[in-house]
Amino acid sequence: MTLQLTETLPRLSRARAAVVRPWLLLAPALAILAVLLLWPLVRVFLFSLQDYGLREITTGEPSWIGLENYAEILATPELWTVVLPNTVGFAVLSVAGTVVFGTAVAVLLASLGTFWRTVTSSAIMAAWAMPAVTGTYVWVWIFDADRGVFNDALMALGLLDDPTNWFTNRWTFYAIVLLNVIHHGFPFVAVTVLAGLLGVPKEMLEAAEMDGAGAFRRFFLIIVPQLRQVFAVVIILSTIWDFKVFAQVYLMPGGAGSNRSVLNLGVWSYVESFGQNRYGFGSAIAVLLTLLLLVITAVYVRTVLAEEER
Amino acid sequence: MSAGRSAPTLRPLRRTPRRSPLRQLGKGVLVALLLAFTLFPVYWMLNSSLDAQAGHTSSFWPAEPTLDHYWFVLTEGGFGTFLRNSLLVALGTVLISSALALLASVAVARFRFRMRTQVLMLVLIVQMVPLEALVIPLFVQVRDLQLLETLTGLVVVYVALALPFGIWMLRGFVAAVPVELEEAAYLDGASWGRMFWSVLLPLVAPGLVATSIFSFITAWNEFIFAMTMLGGATESYTVAIGLRSFFGVHSNDWGAIMAASTIITVPVMIFFILVQRRLASGLTAGAVKE
Repeated sequence: MTLQLTETLPRLSRARAAVVRPWLLLAPALAILAVLLLWPLVRVFLFSLQDYGLREITTGEPSWIGLENYAEILATPELWTVVLPNTVGFAVLSVAGTVVFGTAVAVLLASLGTFWRTVTSSAIMAAWAMPAVTGTYVWVWIFDADRGVFNDALMALGLLDDPTNWFTNRWTFYAIVLLNVIHHGFPFVAVTVLAGLLGVPKEMLEAAEMDGAGAFRRFFLIIVPQLRQVFAVVIILSTIWDFKVFAQVYLMPGGAGSNRSVLNLGVWSYVESFGQNRYGFGSAIAVLLTLLLLVITAVYVRTVLAEEER
Repeated sequence: MSAGRSAPTLRPLRRTPRRSPLRQLGKGVLVALLLAFTLFPVYWMLNSSLDAQAGHTSSFWPAEPTLDHYWFVLTEGGFGTFLRNSLLVALGTVLISSALALLASVAVARFRFRMRTQVLMLVLIVQMVPLEALVIPLFVQVRDLQLLETLTGLVVVYVALALPFGIWMLRGFVAAVPVELEEAAYLDGASWGRMFWSVLLPLVAPGLVATSIFSFITAWNEFIFAMTMLGGATESYTVAIGLRSFFGVHSNDWGAIMAASTIITVPVMIFFILVQRRLASGLTAGAVKE
């Protein structure tokens, strides 16, 4: 009896430690996530139900107005003609552009010898490593109306008579943002897809080649199905990133709210809040953006967890 | 390619038709175009930063090579202060977020406990929250804490931003350490704490370095919060918003802007090349089989 007791006691406390320890280890991180990410998310929703301006910030007294902010957003014609097309249309184009270009680069890299593959894939890292802020400024400088190299080159070639300001027109503005985002985003796709490509069994490709399958058929019938999971992750991550482009738009000439035809959801929310001091209205826009992303994220989490359980 | 030479009898058919000179030339052209597209912005940034004529004439190499822009940016431009601020903020973020991420990742990678999946899901989901949604409530929160216009306020926010990805990435590194090593330590009579310090920590160190570099880059590049929370406190500016001081009302000093951009970009690029592989696999960890 006594012998048994002394034997089970340490075992019991060890078992309890195994239950408590993970939570002890998690506690500081979870506390930070709760206070600095989850509580603000609740709060931004609460703000969106209020008329929250400078007065409310200083006094802390809430003035609830229900769903009025949301009603006002949905009734703003700009939302349907400008903001949503700029957000969703841009995300679709940039995801498609990034994934297609990145995959093409991955295929090219996979066909190179080891030396050139290493050199080229390290070089494209430079585009990924470029911080969004400095990258955007460089593109703004390249396309600058008065002194930019793009206008100078076009004029030297005789394609353009006078310098053009590419930032005032909504389409050319977003064409530059698109170039910036694809340039910054394709290396991630290329590197990830390349890793997948190198994992496709050589025997399968060789067998298909012997059976007379051309390069295109080999790519779409063998490689794409093998890399389904890789493509799913790459597409979803790119979608999430491209829906919330902010600095790439905000830092361009006219992008910080002065040119209303180039607003997207993120920038609109920001300029209403910090430009007009309409924090409640801005919060409501931010909530809509978050809901949009949440749907995409749910798809992502399901993809990842489905793979993990296998 | 050399496989054909070492085992010629096994693979007599392959490779010969593929290495036609035309094909090689085509590939060479594609690689050259790709490199030109990828590297042009970086090249143009360096080129303009070294050219006294930047902003007056465009030429594809510095028309009048000079280091004056760098000198101006670091002295009169006050970029030295911005660099110091960014370094302090980034180091603070790295130290705190890496320590917390390590503890949390050990919990999710090494223990099977109730709600483990939920915790992992939470970590994944909070990464997707747009900064634009957080900036309003966090601005109010930091304001209530009286930390607006301070570097401490920024560190607090950046730790929260860097933490989820850090946990997600370190989880893979911790899981890769063989459990047998831990069990051997227990058999030798080590306590859990002793095992953590002497077995787990040294083995996870490379992952910790990669995660730290990632947190560093997050803090170094961050723009929205720095702009919002530092407001007019120029002496607390980080590099990402300090750049804006070189934009004039009527004309921009492009030489100086590009020199400052180069100073910001170079450390990030070096770090990035150091961690590139880990970064790509960390982003897709759990989803991509390797």
